Amino acid sequence: MKLTFPHMGNIYVPMRAILSELDIDHVIPPPITARTLSLGVKYSPEGICIPFKITLGCFIEALESGADALLQAGGMGTCRLGRYAMSQEQVLKQLGYKFEMIILGVHNEADNKLVGLAKIIKKVSGGAPWSKIISAIGFGLLKQEMLDGIEKKVQKMRPVEAGRGSVEKLYRQAVKAIDEAGDTKSVKRAKQEYMERLDSVPVTPGADPLIVGVTGEFYVVLDPFCNMDMEIELGKLGAEVRRYTWVSSWTQFRSFLNPFRKEPKEPIRRAAYPYLRRDIGGDGWESVGEKVLHSKDYDGIVHLLPFTCLPEIIAQNIMPSTKEDIPVLSITCDEQMGKAGMLTRLEAFTDLLKRRRRERRKVAGADGNISGH
Amino acid sequence: MRIGIPRALLYYQYLSLWKTFFQEMGCEVVLSSQTNKAILSGGTSRVVAETCLPVKAYCGHVIDLKGKCDFIFIPSLTRTEKNATNCSKFIALPDMVKAVVPQCPPLLEIDIDVNKGKRELYEQIYGLGRHFTWNPLKVKNAFVKAWKAHKDYTNLLSARRLGIPQVLPEIEKSCLQAEQNPAQGEQQVTSGRQDAGCVAATDSGSARGSLAIGLIGHPYMLYDDFINHRLRERLEKLGAVLRTPEMVSREDTQKAIVKLVGKSYWGYEDEIVGAGGHYLDSQVDGVIAAVAFGCGPDSLMIDLVARYAREKARKPFLNLTFDEHTGEAGILTRLEAFTDMLKRRKSALSPPVRNDGLAS
Repeated sequence: MKLTFPHMGNIYVPMRAILSELDIDHVIPPPITARTLSLGVKYSPEGICIPFKITLGCFIEALESGADALLQAGGMGTCRLGRYAMSQEQVLKQLGYKFEMIILGVHNEADNKLVGLAKIIKKVSGGAPWSKIISAIGFGLLKQEMLDGIEKKVQKMRPVEAGRGSVEKLYRQAVKAIDEAGDTKSVKRAKQEYMERLDSVPVTPGADPLIVGVTGEFYVVLDPFCNMDMEIELGKLGAEVRRYTWVSSWTQFRSFLNPFRKEPKEPIRRAAYPYLRRDIGGDGWESVGEKVLHSKDYDGIVHLLPFTCLPEIIAQNIMPSTKEDIPVLSITCDEQMGKAGMLTRLEAFTDLLKRRRRERRKVAGADGNISGH
Repeated sequence: MRIGIPRALLYYQYLSLWKTFFQEMGCEVVLSSQTNKAILSGGTSRVVAETCLPVKAYCGHVIDLKGKCDFIFIPSLTRTEKNATNCSKFIALPDMVKAVVPQCPPLLEIDIDVNKGKRELYEQIYGLGRHFTWNPLKVKNAFVKAWKAHKDYTNLLSARRLGIPQVLPEIEKSCLQAEQNPAQGEQQVTSGRQDAGCVAATDSGSARGSLAIGLIGHPYMLYDDFINHRLRERLEKLGAVLRTPEMVSREDTQKAIVKLVGKSYWGYEDEIVGAGGHYLDSQVDGVIAAVAFGCGPDSLMIDLVARYAREKARKPFLNLTFDEHTGEAGILTRLEAFTDMLKRRKSALSPPVRNDGLAS
C-alpha cells in the first residue's frame, strides 16, 4: 500500500516524518502547480470550493506517481469538507484509478482528531506497536511546531528586513533543513540555527510595520498556492501578518490529555457571541470573532474565503455590522483569481491602513496636547 | 400579539407547524407578501453578492414584514435529523438577519439540533413558548397540536401525491396576509386552477402522450414562482406532468439515498438526492433540477444525481441554476429544448431501440 495525502502549506513535512519513521510506503504529491489546479477543476463539480479542486488535483498527480491509498479529511461537520472524501472517491473511481480512500475525522464532535490519526496510522502501518506510533506522531508534531515557530518569526521579519528576499530565502532553507532532520535533536538544532540567522538579518532602522491579521477558511489561509503568496506580498507592502490559524494549533498535543475538552478557540468564539451565537461550521465563527477580538491591536484584517464557502459568506455578511470597527478586506479565492488583481487590492488596502494609522496618531497626539495644557 | 413569518426558505415545509403553535399560544400570524421584485431587490441590496438567491429573498421578506408585526419568527435549524447537518445559512439565519436588517422587529428564535438530545429540544420549545405564557403545560399542548398538524400536512403531501401549492393555500387562509396588490392575487388564483388541472392529469397523463417530468429541488426553489420564473407553469404549458419531491414517500426517498450515498450528510438531502434517485429509476421521462447559484450543499448533491443519471440510470437530466438575474428567455429556450428532446426520445423509444445520452 502506498499512502498519499493532499498538500496544504507545509503539512507534508510532519506527514513525511511520521510515515517514514514507521516505514510506511508513501508518496508525497508533486508540489501544487497550475497543472494540479486545472486537473482538479476539470473533474470537480461545478460549484464546489477551491480546496476540493486542489486536493483532487493533488490526488490525481499522486495516483499518477503510484499511490494507491488516499488520506483525506472528513467526518461530520457543517461544511462541505465532510463530503469531500466521498465525492472525490467517486470522481477518481470513474477516472479508472484503483485505490483505497482513508477518511480522517477532523470534526470535534466526531472521532478525536489525533486519536483518529493514530488509529489510521496503526492500520496502514500493518499494526506497528503503539509506542512506536506515538513517538512517530510526537516527532511529526514537533516538526510542525518548529516550522510554525519559524514562520511566526518570518512573518515578523518580512516587513522590516532591509534587503528584499533574504528572509524568504532563509525560510525556504529552514523548511528544507527541518524536513531533512532525522531526529529530535537535529530538528531542534535546525530551528535554533535558523532563528538565529533570521535574527541577524539586517533590519531597516525605524521600521514601523502595519499589523494585519489574516483570517478565514483554514485551507486558503494555510496554503500559499491558494492565496497566491498573500503573506509574502503583505510583507513586501510593509505589513506584519498575524494569524491564529496554524496546523500546530489544530493538532495541539494537549487535546490528548485534555479531560475537559478545553477549546483553544474559546476566547475567539466568546468575542463573536454578541453577533453570531451558533457554530456555523468551517471557520466562520472564528472569522467574526477575530475581527471583534483584535479590533484594537490590529490595523486591519484580510479575510480569505473560497468562492461559495458556506460559513465564510455568513461571516462576511455579519462582519460589517459589528460595533468594533476595523477595516476588513475580504478576498475570494478560486481558480479565476488573478495575482495582479489581488496585488492592487492589497496595495489599496495597506495604503488605507497607513493613512488611517496616521490620522489616528494625529488625533491621539492632539488629545494628548489638550490634556497636557 | 402578531408574529410575522417570512414567506421564504423553510416556510414551505413548516408553516402548518409554526402557525398552529403560535395560534395555540393566542397569537396572530402574519405572512409576508408573495415574493416580488421589490422584495428581492430589497434583500439583494442588504447582503454580500455571493449569498444565495433564497437567502436574499428571505431578507427581503423580513424587510417586507417591518411594521406589520410585533415579532418575527426566525428559527435556527442545525439538525432536524440525526447526523444530517443543514447549510450554515439555516443555522445562522437569525444572526444574519439581525446583522443585515438592523431595523427589523425583535426576533423570536429557536435552536433545533436533534443531536443534542430530547431534553435540549424540549427546553428550546419551552423557551419559545415562554414569550407567551408561563404555563409549561400550555406550551406542551400547543406543540403537540402543532406537531400533529405538521404530520397531517406531510402525510397529505406524500400519501395523496399532492404538491405543496395545492395544500399550502388552505393553511395560509387562517393567517393574516401582508398587503397584496389585487393583480397578484388574481394571478395566484389562475395558477391555482392550473395546478388543479395538473392533478387530474397526473393519472391519465402518460396515456395522453404528455411528458412526465420529475422536478427536484428545495421547496423554496420550486414553489417561489418569482425566483424560478414560473418554472412549473412553463413546464405545464409545454405539456409536462410534474412530479415533485414531496410526492415521494419517505421510504422511497430513504431507499434512494441509501442507493446513491449510503446515508444523508445534509439536512433536506431527500429533496434532491432522495427524490432525484427515486425519479431517475421510475417511469418519468426526464428529471429537472432547480438549484440556486452558489448553493453549497446542492453543488455536491446535484453532481451526485447528475452522475447517477448519466452513468447508471441513463435518463435525461437538466440542471437549472437560478440567480437574481431576470432574463427569462434563456430558461425558456432550455426548457423547450429539453422537452422537445424528451418527446423525440420517447417516440424513438416506443419501439425497443435505446437512444441515450442526449442530455447532460
